[in-house]
Amino acid sequence: MDKVRRIAQREYLATVRTKGFIIGLVVAPVVFGGSALAMVLFGDQVDTRDRVIAVVDRSGLVAEAVVAAAEARNAVVVYDGETGEKVRPALVIAVVEPDDRDPDGQRLELSNRVRDRRLHAFVEVGPGVLRPREDTAAARIRYYAKSAAMDDLRSWVERPINGRLRELRLAAAGVEPAEHGDMFDWVGAAPTGLVVRDPETGAIEQPRSSSEAEAIIAPLVMPMLMLLVIMWGAVPLLNAVMEEKSQRIAEVVLGSAKPFEFMLGKVLGGVAVSLTAATVYIIAGVLVIRNMGLAEYIPYHVLPWFFVYTLLAIVMLGAIYAAFGSICNDPSEAQSLMLPAMLPVMIPMFVLVPVLKEPESTFSTALSLFPLFTPILMLIRQTVLESLPVWQPLLGVLGMVAFAALAVWTGGRVFRVAILMQGTPANLGNLVRWALRG
Amino acid sequence: MSAVEIEAVRKTFGKTVAVDGLSLAVPRGSVYGFIGPNGSGKTTTLRMIMNIYYPDSGAIRVFGEGLRGASTDRIGYMPEERGLYRRMKVRDVLRFYGDLKNGRDVRCEVDRWLERLELGDWADKKVETLSKGMAQKVQFIATVVARPELVILDEPFTGLDPVNADAIREAVLELQADGATVIFSTHDMSVAERMCDFIFMIFKGRKVLDGTLAAIQAQYGSDTIRVKSEGGAAVLAGLDGVERVTNFGRLQELRLAGDRDPYTILRELVARTRVESFEIARPSLHDIFVRIAGPEAKEAVDG
Repeated sequence: MDKVRRIAQREYLATVRTKGFIIGLVVAPVVFGGSALAMVLFGDQVDTRDRVIAVVDRSGLVAEAVVAAAEARNAVVVYDGETGEKVRPALVIAVVEPDDRDPDGQRLELSNRVRDRRLHAFVEVGPGVLRPREDTAAARIRYYAKSAAMDDLRSWVERPINGRLRELRLAAAGVEPAEHGDMFDWVGAAPTGLVVRDPETGAIEQPRSSSEAEAIIAPLVMPMLMLLVIMWGAVPLLNAVMEEKSQRIAEVVLGSAKPFEFMLGKVLGGVAVSLTAATVYIIAGVLVIRNMGLAEYIPYHVLPWFFVYTLLAIVMLGAIYAAFGSICNDPSEAQSLMLPAMLPVMIPMFVLVPVLKEPESTFSTALSLFPLFTPILMLIRQTVLESLPVWQPLLGVLGMVAFAALAVWTGGRVFRVAILMQGTPANLGNLVRWALRG
Repeated sequence: MSAVEIEAVRKTFGKTVAVDGLSLAVPRGSVYGFIGPNGSGKTTTLRMIMNIYYPDSGAIRVFGEGLRGASTDRIGYMPEERGLYRRMKVRDVLRFYGDLKNGRDVRCEVDRWLERLELGDWADKKVETLSKGMAQKVQFIATVVARPELVILDEPFTGLDPVNADAIREAVLELQADGATVIFSTHDMSVAERMCDFIFMIFKGRKVLDGTLAAIQAQYGSDTIRVKSEGGAAVLAGLDGVERVTNFGRLQELRLAGDRDPYTILRELVARTRVESFEIARPSLHDIFVRIAGPEAKEAVDG
C-alpha cells in the first residue's frame, strides 16, 4: 500500500502544484456556468426595435381586436414608467386585405417582406375561425416568421384573436360580454415552495415563491459540480497514462511497483485531486450563496452524498480511463478513444431535463440506479426530491461500489498487459480481449 | 548462491518466440554482460527478471526467491528507453523513484549521486531542460539511488559521450565493489570485453554464449591474425587459407581456416608488402558476435 500511496501522492502533487490547476479551478466553473451567468447578466438585453406584424384576416372578425390589443400592450410595456427609457419593442399591426384570387401569391409576397425585414411576421386567420368544429381547415390561424416556433409573439397574438372569438360566440349565444367584465379574467397558479417548520423556533414558515429559473438552475449546480470534479480527477488519467506509456515512464515505475499498484495509485491520486476541487467549490459556493442571502437554496442534505458519489465516481471512471490510456500509443489514439470514454459522463447530461422534470418516473429511477450514471442522476433527484426513498441512493451507492470493484479489477487486467505493449492498435476489440484474458 | 537463476524459460508474444529454453546463472557480485543482435530477446529477458513480463514456462529466481508477484525492491532497473517525468524537477523525480523502491536515506543518496555525476547544479531544474546525456545520467541515478543489490541496465552507454560513458562505467564498477551484482546489455563489444566478468549472448531467443571472455574465446582457438601493413586491406586479397578479412582501416583482422599455419600467411604477406605488425590472437568478442549473428551465419541458419 505504501507504493500506492507514493504514486498517488506524486500524481496529486503533480496536478495541484501546477498553475493550470489553480487557474482552472477558477476558470472551469465560469466556463460551465457561463450560460447561466450570461442569462443573469444579459437577461434584460432586449432588441427594442419595433416589430411590424401583418394580419391577413380572412374571417373579417379579429383584425381590429389584434390592433387594439397591440395598442394596449404598447401603452403599458414599451417604455419604463420611471425612466421613460424604451425597454420593449412596440408592436405595429398592419392589417392587410386578403387577396382571395391569389392567396399563395399574397403569402409569397408577405414572406418576401419578412425576408427583407420590412415585416417581423405575418398572421393569416382562416375564414372559418369562429366555428372551428365545422371546418377545421378553414379555422386555422397561421403565424409566418423566420423562427416561428421560437417566436414569443406567436403566443401573444393568439390571445386577442381567441378573446375576440369568444366574445363573438357568447354574443351569438345571447350573452353580452360587456355585462360580465370578469368573463375572461385569468387567474394563474403561482409556483410556490413547500411549507416548512423552523427547527429552532418551531414556527411554520411561509413558503417562498419559486421561479422557473430557480427550479431549473438550482438543481443543475450539483450535477455540474460533479461533472467538473470528474473532469478534474478522472478524465486526465487517460492522457496521463498514455504519456507515461509513450515516454516509457511506465516501464521504470513497473520496475518498482506492480501494474495494479501503479494503476490504483494513479486512480487514488485522481480521487484526491477531485476531492480537493470539490471541497474548494463546495466551500466557496456555500459562502457565496449565503452572502447572496440565498442560503435556503443550498441542499445541505445532499452534500455528504456528493462527496461519496465523487469518490466512487472517480474510482470507477478513473480505472476505466487508466485502462483506456494504457492501450493508447500516442495522443491521436487517445483522442479517438476520448468520445467513448466520455459517454458515461455525457449520457446523464443528455437526460438531465427529463429527469429534472419527472424525477420520480421509472425512467429517472432506473437510469439513476445504473452505477455509471448514479453520481449525476441520483444527485439531481436527491436535490429536487426531498422525499426520495432512502433505499434508492443506498442501492445506487451499493451498485457503484460493486461496479468500482469490477472496474478496478478489469482495468488492472487491461493495464498490466497493455501498458508495455507498443504498436498494438488501441481499439475496443483489444480492450475487451485483454479484459477477458488478462 | 547466484543472484539470478533462470531455468528453461520460454516467452512468446503471439506467434513470435522471444525467448526459448533459456537457462542462466548470474553469480553474486559479478558484472554480467548481455549481448545479442536487436530483437534477439535481451530486453525481454531483462523484463522477465524484473517481473514486468511473466515467462510462459520455466522459472526465474532472484536471490533464491521465485519472483512472480513478488516485490522487486532489491533490484534497480534502467530500461533501454529513458522514462522520466519531464515536468518534475530532477531532485524530486529521483526522490520519487528512490522512495518507490523503499530506499534508505534516499534524500542523502540523491544529493550524493547528483554531485558524483556532476549534476548538482541541475538538481532543481526540470527534467525537460536536460540534455540527452544528462537525462541518461539522471536515469542511472534513479536506478541505483535506493542501493539495490542487483542492478539491471539495458543499454546504459548508448548515446553517451566518452566522458559521460566513463563516468557511468566507473559508477558501475563502484557498485560492484560495494557488493552489488550488475547485469547490463550492450551493443558495444569493447565495453563488454573490458567490464564484464561473464558474457552471455542470446540469438533468436536462444543462448549461444555464456561464460568468461577467456572461456568464450578459448572455444574459438587462436584462429585470428591482426595485421598492420603498408599495403593495407588491398594486399590481403586472395590469401590462401583466409576465410574472412575484416577491415578496420589501419588494422585488418584475418580469420584463418582451421588447419592453416599463421606463419605461412606471414611469409606470403612479407612477400607482398612491408608488415608493420603481425599478431596471432584469439578472436575478439566483436568477431565472435559477427560469426554467430552476422550475415553469413544468418544465411547458414536460414538456408
